[in-house]
Amino acid sequence: MTASLQCTAITKQFQSQVVLKEISLELPAGECLVLLGPSGCGKTTLLNIITGMHQADGGQLRCDDEILDDRSQGIHQSMQRRGFGMVFQDFSLWPHMTVAGNVEFGLKIQGVGSRERRARVMQALEQVQMTEFADRRPTTLSGGQAQRVAIARALAVRPRVLLMDEPLSALDARLREELKSEIGTLLKETGTTAVYVTHDQSEAFTLADRVALMYQGRIEQLDTPEALYARPSTRFAASFIGASNVIPYRQEGDRVTLRDRHDMPLPTHAIPPKGHLVVRREHVVIEPVGEGTRHLNGHVVLEGVCRRRSFLGDRHEILAGLDGGLEIRGFSQHPLRPGDPVAIRFPGHGLHVVAD
Amino acid sequence: MTPELRALRRHAWLQLPILICALLLLLATGYPLLLLFAQSLFPDILGGSLEGFLDPYRRIVETEALGQMIRNSLLWAGAVTVVSWIMGIPCGYLLARTNLPGKLWARLSLLVPIMTPPYIAALSYILVMQHGGFADTLLGGLPDGLRAWFFSFWGVTLVMALSSFGYVALAVEAALSAIPRRLEDAAQMLGARWYQLGALVLVPLLLPAIFNSGLLVFLEAISNFGVPAVMGTRANLPLLPAEIFYLVTSWPIDLPLATSLSSLLCLFALATLYVSRWLAAKAGGGTLKASESALHPLGPLGKCLGWGLFLGLFLLSAALPYAAMIITSLADAWGEGLPALTLGHYQAILAPGSRGLEALTTSLGLSIAAATICVIIGGYIAYVNVRSTGPLQKLLDGLAMLPRVIPKIVVAVGLILAWNAPWIHLDVYNTLWMLLLAYVVIYITDALNYSNTSLTRMSPSMEHAAAMLGAGRARVFFSIVLPQLKPALLAAWVTTFIVCMRELVASILLLPPGADTTATFIFNQFEQGDITMAMAMATVTIVLTTVVLILFRVGRQEA
Repeated sequence: MTASLQCTAITKQFQSQVVLKEISLELPAGECLVLLGPSGCGKTTLLNIITGMHQADGGQLRCDDEILDDRSQGIHQSMQRRGFGMVFQDFSLWPHMTVAGNVEFGLKIQGVGSRERRARVMQALEQVQMTEFADRRPTTLSGGQAQRVAIARALAVRPRVLLMDEPLSALDARLREELKSEIGTLLKETGTTAVYVTHDQSEAFTLADRVALMYQGRIEQLDTPEALYARPSTRFAASFIGASNVIPYRQEGDRVTLRDRHDMPLPTHAIPPKGHLVVRREHVVIEPVGEGTRHLNGHVVLEGVCRRRSFLGDRHEILAGLDGGLEIRGFSQHPLRPGDPVAIRFPGHGLHVVAD
Repeated sequence: MTPELRALRRHAWLQLPILICALLLLLATGYPLLLLFAQSLFPDILGGSLEGFLDPYRRIVETEALGQMIRNSLLWAGAVTVVSWIMGIPCGYLLARTNLPGKLWARLSLLVPIMTPPYIAALSYILVMQHGGFADTLLGGLPDGLRAWFFSFWGVTLVMALSSFGYVALAVEAALSAIPRRLEDAAQMLGARWYQLGALVLVPLLLPAIFNSGLLVFLEAISNFGVPAVMGTRANLPLLPAEIFYLVTSWPIDLPLATSLSSLLCLFALATLYVSRWLAAKAGGGTLKASESALHPLGPLGKCLGWGLFLGLFLLSAALPYAAMIITSLADAWGEGLPALTLGHYQAILAPGSRGLEALTTSLGLSIAAATICVIIGGYIAYVNVRSTGPLQKLLDGLAMLPRVIPKIVVAVGLILAWNAPWIHLDVYNTLWMLLLAYVVIYITDALNYSNTSLTRMSPSMEHAAAMLGAGRARVFFSIVLPQLKPALLAAWVTTFIVCMRELVASILLLPPGADTTATFIFNQFEQGDITMAMAMATVTIVLTTVVLILFRVGRQEA
């Protein structure tokens, strides 16, 4: 049944290229960990090491108390014996078996008796609402249906850990939304330990108990979605998560300035002398200058010019240009036109900075 | 002009190309086959009488020997298929899923027998195995049991299987390479061992390819004329195509029986097609996207066994027959041991004014003309077919499919009836034009296939883009479609040229008296004349066509 997973200092390189640099993480039983990052960050390689398709060059992988992979001890458990379930990006259903046959396969291999097998197949198909498709061939299913079946196939064997490799990226946007929340519910209901690989942060935020944000073979930040969003710890985390303004600042004496021009109310003793200021787009309010700019207490107000506007339905997104070549994105209720002078306002308390 | 009439005219104008294509195919293929079928039902229909309905079929049912012959033909084709599977499937697996070194050479070794006309391989094998043949000379006497076995059902099966197992091997290789690794990973993640993986995932996924290649081999075997004609008489194994041939060409000529046997042969071919399609569909499948696949590492013993298999098969399917053919073509005088060598036979068949050179030029001319016509008409028909819809398109598709399935000898017999009928006043029958027509009808499928594949990959939007800019239909075809189709058409031309250069069955049935093609020259010289001349011609034909193929390949690589 569901188990915990532990990676200690896992490294991997292909030819001379180092793909994973000392990855350590711990996944308690019943939690969902999302490996998030841009393509080439190493998240798929890490997943492949967990599945057993690749062997790590160094470090140790453990599931509960069992060592699955440790080169120094000469241990590499084959993927047949790990007892994991996997959901692939391209579904990878066997086209020559029915839907029920696909789900049944793993139970057959485990030697589950035919009566219990049938019950568990139906249960798994019920969990993904695919019971009425049991006798259909995978080729007759839509992408969303096929991925549901693939999830049922992986869950039917009650895997120790469920691994999902970008399971939604082959689906269209609407289906993606739908299946995303279903997977979330399913994971919580079954209490399955899961590792979920994606490059989509909304999937990560919906599904994860914790997110491992990966970049260039390293874990940049391992945190709850809320913490990752509110307090990114590196410049990469700040720019990858959400649509933030990440602006370089400098300390000079007791002033903190952007491009030496715009003063920021930041406590000089508490921040590094050089770094980046992170201002979330949704905190930035942009207004026409003539509107009687209000100087709210504790807010930073800057002046600039509207560069670009895109209408989002309930509001406008504005790209404003400032002195010194700075650009800041924010929202406005006003249909500003390019060239209009604007006031840019954001709360000064809780400004977040990251070191370079 | 009323708007309705204008609309009708416009509709007719749009439908014109498909109408022309359908009519053309109907006249070329539909009409002869229909006539053949009609004559098998009403033996006197060409004399204008409907008497004797089903008489020939009654005779088939009542004549014990005919029933036996038909059963034998089906059994034999079945045996060829099974033997080809046994030889081909391991080869396909070795090529697709192991780290066997030198796969390129292994693949090439499969291509040689595929490229060798089965009747030439059969003739060469006779030279090896007959009394006083190479085996006797080199081994000092072949065991009688082995000779008797060779000149029997299984020997004939072996020769045919050796020239067709390559299809199975290549089909299995392609299918295995196309099975995505993920499908195996998924099974392994769920704990499947290698034997479970093979039995539950790989073999079932492979079944469609096995059935389809089996269909190809079965069709090729049941409709093959050369091997039964050459070996059937010697092995006392009468088989359908050869029997049809004797009924049409030897006294007493029995066209009703020939047409009814031909119709049965057609029926078998069509039934095989549908059964194997049904089986393939039932076995599941669906198209798989090609992807990298896992290679099974072989140990030293495995590598040796793998290469042993390829070498053994190459020896039997190519080296041995080719050696027999070439040595015979160079043999001067047969005495004890191996003969002294001479190039005299080549000089004889290539001498100006000789029958050999005449046969060669006739074949060259016919093949070039047939390949060119096939490519032009086939390319156009494929284009019209791919870009149209509706009932006419279905008819066209069906008609174009026909020669692919219908045995060549049946088409040839149908053409004899069709162009010899009392209402035909053109003097086509008994001229070389007849042969050209037969080549085009029989071998247009290659041009259709190649163009079809290339056209279905081509997006119609490219044509629409040109049409929006004001290009007319002809302009679109010539300046947008044709340039993109050129590589496919070139490949089709070369293929058609090569098969026509080696074509035996239509030539032997339809040649006007006094004329020869390379194949009939080889066949007739072997049966009634000079074996060395036959083998010299076989060598020349094979060398010539292989050179054309290699030049084409090299040219394509450079392009």
